[in-house]
Amino acid sequence: MTIREGLQHGKENGLAVEHLVKRFGPLVAVDDVSFSVAPGEFFSLLGPSGSGKTTTLRIIGGLTVPDEGEVYLGGERITYWPPEKRDVNIVFQNYALFPHLTVFENVAFGPRRRGWPERKIREEVTRFLKMVHLEGYEGKYPRQLSGGEKQRVALIRALIMHPKVLLLDEPLGALDLKIRQELQLELIRIQEEVGITFIYVTHDQGEALTMADRIAVMNRGKILQIGDPKTIYEQPVNRFVAHFIGNTNFFEGQVVKVEGGMALVDVPGLAQIWGVPVGEVRAGLPASVSVRPEKMYISRHPPKGGSFNVLQGIVEDMIYTGVSTEFIVRLPTGQQVRVFAQNISKDAEIWKITWDEKVWVYWRPDRSLVFVE
Amino acid sequence: MSTLGLPIPYSRWRRTVQQYAGLVLNVFPPFIYLLLFFYAPMALLFVMSFWKSGYMELEPAFTLENYRAFLSNPTYRRIMWNTFVTVTGVMALLVVVGYPIAYFLARMVRRYDALLIYLLIIPVEINYLIRIYAWKIVLGRSGIINAALMYLGLIDEPLRFLLYSRTAVMIVLIHEWLPYVVIPVYVALKGVPQEIVEAARDLGAGRWDVFRYIYLPLSLPGLFASFILVYIPMLGEFAIPSIVGGPSGYMLGNVIESQFLAAGNWGLGSAIGFLLLFITLVLVAIVIKVTGLEELM
Ligand SMILES: Nc1ncnc2c1ncn2[C@@H]1O[C@H](COP(=O)(O)OP(=O)(O)OP(=O)(O)O)[C@@H](O)[C@H]1O
Ligand SMILES: [Mg+2]
Repeated sequence: MTIREGLQHGKENGLAVEHLVKRFGPLVAVDDVSFSVAPGEFFSLLGPSGSGKTTTLRIIGGLTVPDEGEVYLGGERITYWPPEKRDVNIVFQNYALFPHLTVFENVAFGPRRRGWPERKIREEVTRFLKMVHLEGYEGKYPRQLSGGEKQRVALIRALIMHPKVLLLDEPLGALDLKIRQELQLELIRIQEEVGITFIYVTHDQGEALTMADRIAVMNRGKILQIGDPKTIYEQPVNRFVAHFIGNTNFFEGQVVKVEGGMALVDVPGLAQIWGVPVGEVRAGLPASVSVRPEKMYISRHPPKGGSFNVLQGIVEDMIYTGVSTEFIVRLPTGQQVRVFAQNISKDAEIWKITWDEKVWVYWRPDRSLVFVE
Repeated sequence: MSTLGLPIPYSRWRRTVQQYAGLVLNVFPPFIYLLLFFYAPMALLFVMSFWKSGYMELEPAFTLENYRAFLSNPTYRRIMWNTFVTVTGVMALLVVVGYPIAYFLARMVRRYDALLIYLLIIPVEINYLIRIYAWKIVLGRSGIINAALMYLGLIDEPLRFLLYSRTAVMIVLIHEWLPYVVIPVYVALKGVPQEIVEAARDLGAGRWDVFRYIYLPLSLPGLFASFILVYIPMLGEFAIPSIVGGPSGYMLGNVIESQFLAAGNWGLGSAIGFLLLFITLVLVAIVIKVTGLEELM
């Protein structure tokens, strides 16, 4: 499906935004943002702080009016609808629970505005409280809850409305690692259970990779890449995405030539490195070669045969993490590279590597990417 | 462990002393001040209200005579009733006028709300008595209002009820106390986080719902502060009724004042004062219960 067809599809069935622009004075917080989300999809907006994620979400929720562009939901243009009219709900970055209302009243707030019968409200609130393991919390006030509990109330307060799209703004950002992971799983379970489209904002790339069906990577108000986690990780479209997602080693140099679908980059003082060119790579341009630590081999001997990019260095540090060992290797230029080696068996060759030892680091040319910018 | 083997390490000991000293130095002077100049006289007056008392005489005893004298006097009872009616009416009008002003300033004015609040306060900085006398010029027989109405031909002769009446007392009281209603409510409304309002809108609340279910309940503590700040002092007001009130505007404050100053009956004066205090405290308790304010505080 082309992007154009995707947008058309999103417009008719799910959610689509087209060419959104929002300026705050001279700052362009959202700069020509377009994407579409299919019904039932778990879509993540990922980007560093200040990249325009919240602003995009607020435009979809109707809390901010865009300067340009349109928002479509289920075939209708809702760009200028007030928030209370949209079939979209937000889970706010810092909960925004009503301090003067109990947990029950907080969750019942939306249904009451919709005029549901009181019996149905009681049943549904109870059901949702149960879903997030908060039975018995009905009478508590927000100030009596822990962060994780507040987060769960904020979540079901929006979920109970059964919106077409649920917008979650870094819902787990303020929580510690353990509760985070717990709630991540819970969120995925709930999303599958209720089948509502999620747009999940986060600046935590790990969270986006594990949870989302598709990810849009944002920076400075622009969307750089949209794709499923694997594509984003394996085929980043530019240096920023490669850098932002996962761990990566970069080598800076100049393109020597492009031939046979591969580019050769000269890294001064180090070596010439082959990689897959991304975008408009031409000889003579400055370029970065990126290669991920788990795609590299480390050995006390040079590789036997095969075509590899090969570097030599000194082991500066070794970090054993159980599943794998992370080596920090210092190259002749002084640059450090990180290499992950899986701990396959305990008499493997790599176990003999020690500190300050001279090692070879190598990888297949098609495992590295060449970016010019 | 401390190397000196002291039960408490020196550094901790020193810190404790410092904290204690800090506490004493910070809390003690104001406490002493309150004790000497506020609670002690109050207590003395309270005790006096049970003494045998008459014109320029006061004799230690324990008798409820002063309370009985007040409550059995129909004139006093009427004045007390009038006072509560006037003050309650003024309070209601203050809320009706003050709340919208506070709401407007807190939620609808974008930039100059602080300046507007200051404009509201400026009159308070003029001397209290001068302000009351100024109202005489406005409300009097040949005052500004009457003159204007006559000039416009709306009336043939000056309106008499404008000055030396309960109406006059109410008008001046409203003017006097309006800032004290507006400001606490303004602060409460200003403090409602924008996010909560947005959450409410997001969950389907229209503008009226947002007011009804968010702003109103969250501004109740401010309204309550206004009530405490305004209602209670108004009950004891005597300057305004004695300057613009005339006989029909006579209030309990004037009775107390005259017992102390003219009649020289301190026992009766104290008794009325404490009766007033007692009724007010009961009222405050009722207000807290009715509005469910405990939950918000
Ligand atoms: N109401 C506003 N007025 C002025 N500038 C704003 C406003 N809201 C956002 N901005 C600016 O727009 C940019 C994008 O903000 P936004 O809140 O969308 O970022 P974000 O991606 O959500 O960041 P974070 O991860 O820190 O939440 C920021 O530079 C921010 O300072
Ligand atoms: Mg944000």
